[in-house]
Amino acid sequence: MKRKEVRSLAFAACLTATVPFVWGCGDASDGKIEVEIVQYKPEAANYFKTVEEAFNASHDDIHLTISSPNDAMAILKTRFIREDYPDIIGIGGDINYSYFVDADILADISGYAGMQDVNEGYLDIAEALELVPVDGTYILPYAANAAGILYNREMFEQHGWQIPETWEEMLALCDQISAEGILPFYFGFKDTWTCLAPWNAMAVELAPADATKQVNKGLTSFTDEYGELAGKYLALLPYGPDDPFAYSYNDACTAFARGESAMYPIGSYAAPQILSVNPDLKIDSFVMPASDAKEGRTLNSGIDLGFCVTKDCKNKEAAYEVLDFLYADDTLQKYIDAQTSVPCKKGSFTLPVILDGMSEFIASGNMTDYQDHYYPSEMSVDALLQTFLIEKDKDAFLKNFDTSWQRYNRDIIRMVQEYEAAHGSAQ
Amino acid sequence: MKKTSTVGKSNRTAMVLLILGLSTIIFPLYMTVVIAFKQPSEMTNSISGILSLPKVWSLDNFREAMRVTDFWNSLKNSLLISVLTVGLSILIHSLMGYTLGRNKKSKFYNFVYLFIVSGMFVPFAILMMPLAKQTAEMGLANWFGVILLYVVFYMPMNVMLYSGYLTNIPLALEEAARVDGASTWRTYWAIIFPIMRPMHATVAVITALAVWNDVMTPLIIMAGSSENTLPLAQLNFQSQFGTNYNLAFASYLLSLIPILVFYVICQKQILNGVVNGAVK
Amino acid sequence: MEVHSRKGVNVMSKHENERKRTFLLITIPILALFVCFNTIPLIRGALYSFTNSRGFGSHDWVGLRNYIDLFSDARVGKSYLFTIKLALVTTIVVNVLSLIMALLLNSKIRAKGFFRGAYFLPNILGSLVVGYIFNYFFTYIVPALADMTGITSLSSSILSSPGKAWIGVMIVCAWQAIAMNTIIYISGLQTVPEDVYEAGGLDGATGWKQFKHLTFPLIIPFFSINMVLCVKNFLMVFDQIIALTKGGPAQSTESISYLIYNNGMSGGQFGFQSANAVVFFIVIVVISVAQMKFSSSKEEQL
Repeated sequence: MKRKEVRSLAFAACLTATVPFVWGCGDASDGKIEVEIVQYKPEAANYFKTVEEAFNASHDDIHLTISSPNDAMAILKTRFIREDYPDIIGIGGDINYSYFVDADILADISGYAGMQDVNEGYLDIAEALELVPVDGTYILPYAANAAGILYNREMFEQHGWQIPETWEEMLALCDQISAEGILPFYFGFKDTWTCLAPWNAMAVELAPADATKQVNKGLTSFTDEYGELAGKYLALLPYGPDDPFAYSYNDACTAFARGESAMYPIGSYAAPQILSVNPDLKIDSFVMPASDAKEGRTLNSGIDLGFCVTKDCKNKEAAYEVLDFLYADDTLQKYIDAQTSVPCKKGSFTLPVILDGMSEFIASGNMTDYQDHYYPSEMSVDALLQTFLIEKDKDAFLKNFDTSWQRYNRDIIRMVQEYEAAHGSAQ
Repeated sequence: MKKTSTVGKSNRTAMVLLILGLSTIIFPLYMTVVIAFKQPSEMTNSISGILSLPKVWSLDNFREAMRVTDFWNSLKNSLLISVLTVGLSILIHSLMGYTLGRNKKSKFYNFVYLFIVSGMFVPFAILMMPLAKQTAEMGLANWFGVILLYVVFYMPMNVMLYSGYLTNIPLALEEAARVDGASTWRTYWAIIFPIMRPMHATVAVITALAVWNDVMTPLIIMAGSSENTLPLAQLNFQSQFGTNYNLAFASYLLSLIPILVFYVICQKQILNGVVNGAVK
Repeated sequence: MEVHSRKGVNVMSKHENERKRTFLLITIPILALFVCFNTIPLIRGALYSFTNSRGFGSHDWVGLRNYIDLFSDARVGKSYLFTIKLALVTTIVVNVLSLIMALLLNSKIRAKGFFRGAYFLPNILGSLVVGYIFNYFFTYIVPALADMTGITSLSSSILSSPGKAWIGVMIVCAWQAIAMNTIIYISGLQTVPEDVYEAGGLDGATGWKQFKHLTFPLIIPFFSINMVLCVKNFLMVFDQIIALTKGGPAQSTESISYLIYNNGMSGGQFGFQSANAVVFFIVIVVISVAQMKFSSSKEEQL
């Protein structure tokens, strides 16, 4: 008898406990226009929390919600499939953006007034990301990152090392550093994505910016375009730790922060992690020298975060008002300080000190996008690179790159070639 | 309790082996605790550095971790989901396991058994998209939907466990009750359900643990809602460009406590050899 | 033990009907729930395997192209080989160890509760923690120990070697899984009545003999459950891969589930990986059904 009572109680408890859940899902709105942003950089969650609060405190008619989930791409895709679109999405200028444009999910925001203030270089980069040319602008570039080489400034000053400007100078510098018993580079190649950092940084000088597009059009092959790049990448390996594939990104950041190497080929985004281990470290950066010419150099930089308005967004005016707030100089400056990034907006901003060595390039707008922004993630070029660096077989790597590319991009290549056939004569 | 008649000699060997084996547990646990108390600047890549004790034993990491994860709120959500899932699982899965376990001779029930058990092998990735869509269509893109899905996801394994356990429970027990005129339904709740207590405890532990640590289901089903479970909130600590291991470890230690307490309670139930006691 | 009481055929068949009806009434709603949230989404998901969908946006029907590609895709083939190798080895290791653990923990020892609690811990630690600790262990501690003892083959991290990384994954999988399998074995050992041991003790059966002839036959249902669960869990290994290697080095530890998730969900290969998932599902079902058939025939023999 007693047991039965317990059981029915448990049953009742189960039922009543579920009720608030079922009811709790619909938000009660109080007449305000709801604007929702999902942005993909969880490391910037704190910044966006403050933006959200500041916006809501200063606006009576619009209520803004910003979420910064981990694995935002999976979340966005599942929400798209259930046709539950956020009003604004914050994503990077990479292949996912290309896919979203192609899937007709984003709205043309070329009419947005703030577009006038965007650094044209980044608008060009955004346009290049479209699989096939599409009319209109679909992203408001917000912040960019830059990849090259981070170095330990105190160590360089102590030993009187000079910043290299050509590939030869760079190798000479590495030899010099090694000769003094210091490790020139640290690599964290256990995390495959870090293999892309030096690759991208060197590619801007050694391969055409639109290499992937030319391949898609059938004009060239990666074996032709990436040969020198792959060879030079291999030449860097001896200057790193003995077994670079044992160390993760985190290990490499820690090692660099503790002065275990003089340089670290990675992007500006690594600075917060490095400084968390050693807040007193003076980090500076320089543009990765990959060719033997001092002229014609360019900085590897791409859109790290941009905002897109979805087609489904009910109230474009409200969305634009949110964009105005995000794009205000002081809001953007705070982001740049927090994330050590480069603003995509014209105007005078204070750049993070870590980018001192790259500021010339940034100021003159001499920047080229990351090659990997054009790579489909499922092809796992990062893993291919890791395999290449382990096995050191350049020909096999390039051949594999070409065949994999054809295989993973089959539908895109077909689309590009159909487009070429239809529009080719006009160009 | 009952006196066991195991030979006394083997126990010392067992103790020695168990104590030796503990090192495989203590070492990782030590690392977890030490890291949870350290500051990021104390993290080094050298062995002595990572194994050394923190400079200051301060609860700051725990406090900060609780703030970042909105601990009490997330804990409440996690607890509710886990408790409800476990409760429903024990009720529903044991019934199903009983039905299938007692009808092994029937072609139909055998098919149902294989049908349900095969559900265990469906790769979650293929269900994700359709489930996200389906739950949204049915208005279940919320906690309740997550619980329902859990009840379905863990059904194959739990049904297998229950029906396996039943093979060792003599039919005679039910027949005795039937003679007294009790219906199958009554007999089940009065006799079989209580007897399966060790299995309930096992199922509770396994299900609770799976639910407690699961990220994917709530991530996909409730994407876009502002509520968090503990594992979802803990995702805040890691990103590609930097993971705060100190805060993360502190947070994991915190979330480990409730489930460990639950396990300790349950394992007492697993210990009670009820079949032995009931057949007397 | 046997209950001798028959009150006539009439009552029996009435009972039989009532019993059948009850069973049916239990089965129908539960089965409906299962079909609704498992079978239907599975079918809907399987339909994507005939498209070139990226998971969102529009897609085209491509017929059997994904399936044809699947069998010529070296990466997918490699992932099957890796996963099967891992599952086989880990299943054996885990079952042997957890059976020993269960016997130890079930024997008359002091501080039983403490030991059971302690050995359960690996299961609760989140995968981020486990990943970090074992990465550290393999990257820094094992090589240092190897240097001290002069074992050169271990002086570099096994996780950085494409040939050896799977061993690292295996160790972590086993370390985490033993706790759960031990619990299932313990609850199995609880169903073995004391008098079996008492009777066995009189016949002089102790130690290994007692286990082989008395204990093990009685816990065979739990052995087969554990085997099926192990094979299934390790064939579908995902968390440990993410925590430990993310498929590397040199794509040597890409498990099937990892590939399906990583390329299908995070990447743009949703249609293709759906095909992979369908084939994978069929493969595991076949393996597991064979396993269950095999062990149930064993059960009947005993």
